[in-house]
Amino acid sequence: MEIFFQQLVNGLTIGSIYALVALGYTMVYGVLKLINFAHGDLVALSAYIGLVIIMQLMGALSPTVLIIITFIATMIITAIGGVILERAAYRPLRKAPRLSAVVSALGASLIIENGIMLIWGPMPKIFPASVIPNANYSLHGVYISLMQVLVLIISLILMVALYLFVNRTKLGTAMRACAIDQDAARLMGINVDKVIVTTFVIGSALGAVGGLFIGMYYRGIYFNMGWIYGLNAFVAAIIGGIGNIPGAMLGGMLLGIFNAFIAGYVSSSWSLALTYVLLIVIMIFRPTGILGERVAEKV
Amino acid sequence: MNTKNILSYGVFFAILIILPFFLNSDWVSVMTTFLIYSVVSLSQDIVLGRAGMFDMGHAIFFGLGAYSTAILNMVYGWPILATVPIAIILPIIASILLAAPIIHLRGDYLLVTTIGFNIVFTQALKNNVFGITGGPNGIFGVEPLKILGFTFSSQLSIYYLAFFILLLTLVVIHNLETSKPGRALHYLNLDSLASECIGINTRFYRLYAFGLSAALAGLAGVVFTLQFSAVSPDAFNFIQSVLFFTIVLVGGPSSIPGVLLGTFFMFVVPEMFRQFAEARYLVFGVAMILIMIWRPKGIWPVKFGRIPNYLTKE
Repeated sequence: MEIFFQQLVNGLTIGSIYALVALGYTMVYGVLKLINFAHGDLVALSAYIGLVIIMQLMGALSPTVLIIITFIATMIITAIGGVILERAAYRPLRKAPRLSAVVSALGASLIIENGIMLIWGPMPKIFPASVIPNANYSLHGVYISLMQVLVLIISLILMVALYLFVNRTKLGTAMRACAIDQDAARLMGINVDKVIVTTFVIGSALGAVGGLFIGMYYRGIYFNMGWIYGLNAFVAAIIGGIGNIPGAMLGGMLLGIFNAFIAGYVSSSWSLALTYVLLIVIMIFRPTGILGERVAEKV
Repeated sequence: MNTKNILSYGVFFAILIILPFFLNSDWVSVMTTFLIYSVVSLSQDIVLGRAGMFDMGHAIFFGLGAYSTAILNMVYGWPILATVPIAIILPIIASILLAAPIIHLRGDYLLVTTIGFNIVFTQALKNNVFGITGGPNGIFGVEPLKILGFTFSSQLSIYYLAFFILLLTLVVIHNLETSKPGRALHYLNLDSLASECIGINTRFYRLYAFGLSAALAGLAGVVFTLQFSAVSPDAFNFIQSVLFFTIVLVGGPSSIPGVLLGTFFMFVVPEMFRQFAEARYLVFGVAMILIMIWRPKGIWPVKFGRIPNYLTKE
């Protein structure tokens, strides 16, 4: 039973990270109907940016201030990256055939991935161990580290904030309107370009938090990790129902728990394959995902 | 095929035939892989360009063909020639079994599912499934092909073998273009509902496209195995599928010269800039975005017969 709860805690931690990254995919897909293949690499980039900031400021500041500054600065820089990405690679192709935008996304992904490699080299980088104090709490034999608590709490806060933003604010309502019908939204006086830029800002900033968590939780980061984390997060978005924001959160959590249990009970070498078997099963039996609503369009 | 077409294909083939005599051995090897990748890209184009299905797992069928030959030869001791039919039939069966439950899915959903298939496929190869795939290192030391006493062991003979497979593929695609299934695929790509209304069995023809393209990719896989006398899982991972997918879109969907040009651009050009190591891929990403912005329908887009302009405009 202890193994069960231990894997549940681990799964929820990984799941929160997946959920944060999945939100970027699902929001962009909701508004643009485009799989943003470069999002995963943006997440990898944010981990490297975070590492640079930590290495520069470590020792000069107290740990709490350091972490807050790292998070905020990385989120801002990655959000700028997301806006540049949208401007350069996606906006000129808004009217082009849909597959052209996919190629453009793949091109952008190549640029970021190899850009990281040229700047920081092909060898993995290691996050310093002492950024987050290595404290463990024990609850009836289940260990939970301070890092895991932080991941869970920060993710929860961000997700609740996003949920309130999308459902309670004017810009959030505009975002939902654009997801349903861009032309109609434009006729209602919504500035669609502004909404799309906002989507990329929020998606990239949340992805940056996910990237920093990957760096701090797993410690090792490498230049092409964007692909695998990105794909997993994308699977999470689909499990929840792509385009659906609470769906991405739920999908991330479920995928994290699923992965942790596979790694804990079956074998870690099949964990990746089984993740995609799960994806295939969902695509066959419920392509709209768990929370995705049936739309008129034939799926 | 009009005279101009026949002439330009003739020149193209003549260049390919005399090319190996002007190149050193490294470049003959690159050009052999170019020919094999052209076949795979042309087969990917049947599914992606002609039938309009977003298949991002084409390396599965390529890999199945390659692994069938390698396993049957190394584990069961079959001569290479005897493995060829299996390396064609197995991908066909696999493609139909895999595609049948998901064929009705809309574009992006199909894309994601095929990515899933490909990752499961590579993981299964890496985990040495059934103990015959050789694990992460793959299989080494596959025998050369022997036909009527002639052994395809020299680099040049493999080059011409790959060239022959490309010719065969071009004939198959030319026949497809001018036959009922090819027209059916074209219609269902343009409007699947309308094509269903005029009596095209869209489900059948979509599976037909998958089966045909898997057969060609499997055949290409055999030559790929022969070129390196080895197979490894990473040659058929999902990144390779992305490459074939991009080749078709960058070149020009359902355009034969476009796909060949796309293969050249995406595979041979990076080899030319090998001295720049990984920096070339950065430039490549930029080039992919720029090409899509300036030529959203590919470098060499397809032109359809004498359809008046006002009909093809959206």
